[in-house]
Amino acid sequence: MAEYFGVKVEDIFNTMQERFRPEGAQGVDASFGYDITGEGKWKLTVKDGQMNIEETEDLSDCVVVTITDGETFVGVNIGKVDGMSAFSSGKFKAEGDLGALGKTAKMFRKYAPAKKEMSIRDYLIDMFGTVVERFKPEAAKGMDIKFAFDLGGEYGGQWTVIIKDDTCQVIEKIEGKPTIKLEFMDAKDYVDFSLGKIDAQSLLAAGRAAVQGEINLALKWGEFFEKYLDPMASGEKEQELLVLKKTISVGQRFATGPVMGKFLNALKDKKILGTKCPECGRIMLPAREICSECRVRFSEWVEVGPKGQVRYMDYVYYASPDPLTGETRDTPYGMISVLLDGCKGNDTFAHIVRNDQIDRIEFGWNEMAGTRVRPVWNEKRTGSIFDIKYFEIDE
Amino acid sequence: MGKRVAICAVSQIKNDGDYWYLRFQNMLLPCLEAILEQTGVTFDLDKGIRDIITCSDDVYDARTISNNGVTDVVGAHLRGEEKMAQEAINGLGYAMASILSGHDDVVLFMGHCKETQTESRLMNTNLAFDPFYSRPLGLDFINANAFQAREYQDKSGLTDEHLAKIVVRSRENAKKNPYARENELVTVQDVMKSSMIADPIRELHLYPVTDWAFGMLLCCEERAYEFTDNPVWITGFGNCMDSYFLGDRDLTSNFSLKRAAQRAYEMAGIKDPKKDFDVVELMDSFAYQLPLWAEGVGIVDEGKGAEWIDGKGADDQNVNLSGGMLNGNPIILGGVARALECVLQLRGEAGKSQVKGAKRALAHGCYGAAGQHQAVVVLEK
Repeated sequence: MAEYFGVKVEDIFNTMQERFRPEGAQGVDASFGYDITGEGKWKLTVKDGQMNIEETEDLSDCVVVTITDGETFVGVNIGKVDGMSAFSSGKFKAEGDLGALGKTAKMFRKYAPAKKEMSIRDYLIDMFGTVVERFKPEAAKGMDIKFAFDLGGEYGGQWTVIIKDDTCQVIEKIEGKPTIKLEFMDAKDYVDFSLGKIDAQSLLAAGRAAVQGEINLALKWGEFFEKYLDPMASGEKEQELLVLKKTISVGQRFATGPVMGKFLNALKDKKILGTKCPECGRIMLPAREICSECRVRFSEWVEVGPKGQVRYMDYVYYASPDPLTGETRDTPYGMISVLLDGCKGNDTFAHIVRNDQIDRIEFGWNEMAGTRVRPVWNEKRTGSIFDIKYFEIDE
Repeated sequence: MGKRVAICAVSQIKNDGDYWYLRFQNMLLPCLEAILEQTGVTFDLDKGIRDIITCSDDVYDARTISNNGVTDVVGAHLRGEEKMAQEAINGLGYAMASILSGHDDVVLFMGHCKETQTESRLMNTNLAFDPFYSRPLGLDFINANAFQAREYQDKSGLTDEHLAKIVVRSRENAKKNPYARENELVTVQDVMKSSMIADPIRELHLYPVTDWAFGMLLCCEERAYEFTDNPVWITGFGNCMDSYFLGDRDLTSNFSLKRAAQRAYEMAGIKDPKKDFDVVELMDSFAYQLPLWAEGVGIVDEGKGAEWIDGKGADDQNVNLSGGMLNGNPIILGGVARALECVLQLRGEAGKSQVKGAKRALAHGCYGAAGQHQAVVVLEK
């Protein structure tokens, strides 16, 4: 299998179980298919807060099947490819219930590429291999010191760092009489100590390390040498700063004002109220203070609908997830413009239509009537536009 | 200058600390109705209003191209509409250019800002800065202005007590202004004890959160008397933009304000700004700005702002008799509010603040960190 951005397609699938978040999968009972061109097909099944992933040719019972190439799939999963762009350009396709696909994003923690490990031996070689370049001659001027390291354990060894005549040299043995000798029972402790993961006091107190010779000089090590930097610490390659990703949010308190407020409040009572212009007679929906055409304040409240006919509808295939809440809409959905009974002309009311009826909606045009629809009210109504869940065909 | 542009009418709602029960559209509508009532102007396509200029702040409205959301309450439906995306006082220059060019005779100019809609003015003004460098540092219009305030203190000898006096005076003057935000009167001690928010700026040195809207009708000279018997003329206008990055600027040189004033004075034929104005309104969103901008427009000598405060210069020169922005106007409208106050003075409609026989007035506005963009308008009776 090919690697994309250092990651194989199967790495993404093989880590799904450990990245799975049951709290993000609540109420999900479905199978999701992945058809990765040239790589294979996988089926993810989620039920009762548990998941299973299998490589299979049969994706027939999946609610949605993602079809893409390995590079795009890996790229989107590790954040190297923008999902929306890949979707728009057709590189990333989904067949079936797109809204369901959106839910999978919440089910998994983001894939983090595994770091290539350095062994204790690798560290020791790197640490002593960089001693000479980390040496600061000006700090060790005139010094004549031999630091000996006796590191035990499976990966251990012996090294001597010799400072003399403003130069530094490392040999992989202990010879002669060192000025100072550091002993670590386990070379791993020395590595951890050098990386700042464990302090010398605890090692000494636990008898896992010992110092012989001029202890004061041991403390000078930090003056003579630049600090050892963990090559793994920086981890992934530094971000190339061409873009900076931020989510902007500032809390708002939107006043409804008395007119919009009354309109929203009436929804609680399953009533749709418009305001009527005293001059042209048009009914404004949602209710507003002034007729923009006649430039006069409304004269009366009028209850309209709740049934009406569809004038326009469009199919929306994207879910527009809210970056702060992750909330999405089920896709595709039908955004409709309804001429409620009692209204005329262009004074239509926007809402959405029942998802499974999208394909049955006919537009109205001039004298031709569109599909008759009625609102489906929410049980719990709060004075929001979603007190109406959606409109459905009135049959 | 050959032809002049008239301001035929102004209208406003009272500045308020929280119009929680109104949409910003509700704030604009009475301003529109008042203009129509005062002038009898219509939206007739031959003789009436065909062009509307609005001013609003998209971030404060939390709406992209926020002018699109107020068309009905500014009468802009099926008419020309343009937005001033800068301190609203510049809308006067915009309307003036439209009329002097002959593009239109009559222009309606409306603006609103509902500061209380947002949770945090600081977060909003933080968004005025670039996202890479200044924004992460937490720069906003308070702490950025504090740089300017500190430097100006060093330059002019302005003390904490001077700043307190400016606040006390602003609140006292505002008590005479029926449209001013209702604030408690304060003493010098009250101000000096108010909490320090970005040294040397104390809480009371800073204009309070305010909601407000206004309207104005502008017209060409030939037709002005169709709409009013008492026009006020725009005889000078100038504005100037300074650097975006604070580090590029000398914060107390008033460089851009001087340029803006010079431009307006040349147009209006002002020779000595110290003597030529009967009324001056400066956009003091912070207390320290009153003497700083006074120096910038040339009614006070450079570096003498503190002495001017000691010497009652602001009273002698009729500066900010309205209470100024310091008493409370929303952001983006603090400058146009100054112009509106000048119009009332020149019309003789300033009530208890009225300067008798006022003939010529200066209105100033600015926007951006430490007054990046500056504008000056000369108005005459």
